[in-house]
Amino acid sequence: MTSSGPKYPGGAERSEAGAEPPLLDVDRLSVTIGGKTILHAISLQIAAGEIVALTGESGSGKSMTALATMGLLPGRARASGALRLDGRDLLPLTEPQLCAIRGKQIGMIFQEPMTALNPLQTIHTQVAETILIHGAASRAEASRIAADTLARVGLPPDRISHDRYPHELSGGQRQRVIIAMAIALRPKLLIADEPTTALDVTTQAQILTLLKRLVREDGMALMMITHDLAVVHDMADRIAVMKDGEIVETGPTRALFANMRHPYTRALFEASRHRAVLHRREAAEPLLRVAQVHRVYPGPRQGLFGPRSVTQAVRGVSFDIARGERVGLVGESGCGKSTLTRAILGLEPVTSGTITLDGHPVFTHGHPNLSVRRRMQVVFQDPYGSFNPRHRVDRLITEPFHLLPDPPRGAARDMAIDEALSAVGLSPDDRHKHIHAFSGGQRQRLAIARALIIRPELILFDEAVSALDVRVRAQILDLIAQLSRDYGLTYLFISHDLSVVRGITDRVLVMQAGQIVEQGPTDRVFDAPEHPYTRQLIAAAPVLPETGGHDAAAPAH
Amino acid sequence: MLAYLAKRLVSLAVSLAVASLVIFLVVEVAPGDPASYMLGINARPDTVAALRAELGLDLSKPERYVAWVGGMLTGDFGTSYTYRTPVSQMVADRLWVSLPLALYALSLSTLIAFPAGLYAASRRGRMGDAAVMGATQLGVAVPNFWFAMLLVLLFAIKLGWFAAGGFPGWDEPLQAIKALTLPAIALALPQAAILARVMRSSLIDILGEDFIRTARAKGLSPGQALRRHGLRNALIPVLTIVGLQFSFLLAGAIIIEQVFFLPGLGRLIFQSITQRDLIVVESVVMLLVFAVIVVNFLVDLAYAAVDPRLRTRR
Repeated sequence: MTSSGPKYPGGAERSEAGAEPPLLDVDRLSVTIGGKTILHAISLQIAAGEIVALTGESGSGKSMTALATMGLLPGRARASGALRLDGRDLLPLTEPQLCAIRGKQIGMIFQEPMTALNPLQTIHTQVAETILIHGAASRAEASRIAADTLARVGLPPDRISHDRYPHELSGGQRQRVIIAMAIALRPKLLIADEPTTALDVTTQAQILTLLKRLVREDGMALMMITHDLAVVHDMADRIAVMKDGEIVETGPTRALFANMRHPYTRALFEASRHRAVLHRREAAEPLLRVAQVHRVYPGPRQGLFGPRSVTQAVRGVSFDIARGERVGLVGESGCGKSTLTRAILGLEPVTSGTITLDGHPVFTHGHPNLSVRRRMQVVFQDPYGSFNPRHRVDRLITEPFHLLPDPPRGAARDMAIDEALSAVGLSPDDRHKHIHAFSGGQRQRLAIARALIIRPELILFDEAVSALDVRVRAQILDLIAQLSRDYGLTYLFISHDLSVVRGITDRVLVMQAGQIVEQGPTDRVFDAPEHPYTRQLIAAAPVLPETGGHDAAAPAH
Repeated sequence: MLAYLAKRLVSLAVSLAVASLVIFLVVEVAPGDPASYMLGINARPDTVAALRAELGLDLSKPERYVAWVGGMLTGDFGTSYTYRTPVSQMVADRLWVSLPLALYALSLSTLIAFPAGLYAASRRGRMGDAAVMGATQLGVAVPNFWFAMLLVLLFAIKLGWFAAGGFPGWDEPLQAIKALTLPAIALALPQAAILARVMRSSLIDILGEDFIRTARAKGLSPGQALRRHGLRNALIPVLTIVGLQFSFLLAGAIIIEQVFFLPGLGRLIFQSITQRDLIVVESVVMLLVFAVIVVNFLVDLAYAAVDPRLRTRR
């Protein structure tokens, strides 16, 4: 499963030993914003044709390094040190000089393909603009180069018309357009800031392959920013690990993974492959039953008075979750996970089929069934967005009480708050704070406390750890495992991230195009997938090397 | 695009039909007899009966509605009771003042607001922005008739460049335009202030979008990114406001028309209401509704011209 063969044929030593000067030479670069130091004298070299990954958690300064290289730091930021591209220091350059370099000598790819393109221009126009703005070719010539570049990134005109607008493309196709804009003028340096984080695993694999191919073909240097060590391992020739604005460890990928010196690097690695320890559970009767569920959405009419098209979001899904069971649901975006989740929560009706919790339907007479609804809770991906910033913690986490016919008051309410906060590893004193006073991981703990407070029988975790840094993610996964033991929780863990699902569930459901294509015990599905789609998903997911640092043994599970 | 157009046209026709029905019902079916209402409480019964016959009130309600709508479709709006002239003629005369005035004011307001909003957005948080925002604050706060009086004082009385009021008719186009200039400016300034603020905030929203950062990464200067990628994206909310402003300017210029003695639609409505000339009121209101609905239709078309996402949504 791991790709431990030669990663970059014919060029393994290119990164070390400076016979020729590096293409990009970051020399003791410091950046301060409003007196606060964001980057502490970092030094980093990238040679032509080399892929260097900057990795670390959010706030470590990876993106700031990229923006500094592009000369696109926020207005109040002050940079010192030197940033040499081909020997020329970029820091003292004026804005017009930088404009001439951006897009021509340095190209950049961003994280969010859905919003990084102008919705009002065709993709061809946007790619051609890179060429025209630098006066690199006549209008006709630019148009031809743009078409060639789009074809080169896997969007040939006979497959995808270049007169399309961004909203007519998928996320992966949009990311290809953005790559085309960045490489149209064959820049010497390409910067990719989390280029695949927003994409599905199979799309991610394709985009990474494309980037690798372009780098090899053009001899570009690639600065790849990613928090995902598995992606780093698949892609990079060399790694620089960043923490709090400093590079704490750097080295060739294989050597670094084989011998991690800095404790932070080891911590990141351990957290990345972390699996929570689930307690053994006894067989039990089914709690949630989903039987032959279909959900059809009416689409737009075809023509003015034509029949409506229909979208079949969920097609004949059936499964049970036993009391105390921990089930995963994986699938790519658009596979019907979200529709199914909403239907289970009783937030919307199903077209046909039944969903029952302990024998009672979740949706009756056009309304969520309240007596069932109060036995289920959900934890979402974005904890900040799901909390009202004006309320204090005690009010936030007691929100589910409105589901109860007789919510606890006074001392009973206070006790419930204290217990919920303690259960998720927070202090009862936190009840008077506002949500902005908490970190991302703490917010997710609060979201779990909010779900726990009415003692639900079933919790749905909907991408609940996807937005968290690896170390925080590992802690939250441990917390979930611990709560499942202490409270006998039953949960459905919905995620696009296979490695996370693997570590936190007993059984897994694989969903594709509205159907469950495979289900079974988690280890069996991952180790011996039967359905081709499951195999494809697992093959596409980037993997960490088996050997790591001081401890070479993979955790037996 | 054709489907979008057809859909908009159907919605236009439906809105017009519903609006005409509502106006008809309010005026004709509401309690009280229009004839006796128009003649006042001291009218003699035979006068009322004569007026009823003249207005066609002795017909059944559906018949009257069909006659009214049919008349409007053929350009016959009925006869004003007060002036004894065809309503269509009266409205046409007034429209030749109000429509050019509204268009004139709208053009001025757009011409002032677009550069002002663009400038303020590009200098966000700096002196230029603060100056523009201060000026627009003033423009929103000060009523337009006050501007009108200041303009008359300065340009008509003190400098003598323009007449203080009146309208010479369109026989001499230059004179007509000149007569409409001060009213148009007075109308345009507060509208421009609102529009500039909308333009600025819309642009600032767009400047925070990811695709502006992408444009900068391609090598566009901040100004180029703003003009090439910001402007058109910022236009949707601005177009909405422009549409609303046009509808307002067409009928809402009544105070300005009074200040400058202009024979416009606003004054016509005002006079008809005070004289209880319900036929005129009914027709002018229908006309204004028609104008608003048509303008909304045009704004919808403009949205589609600006945003391809609206075109392809079937």
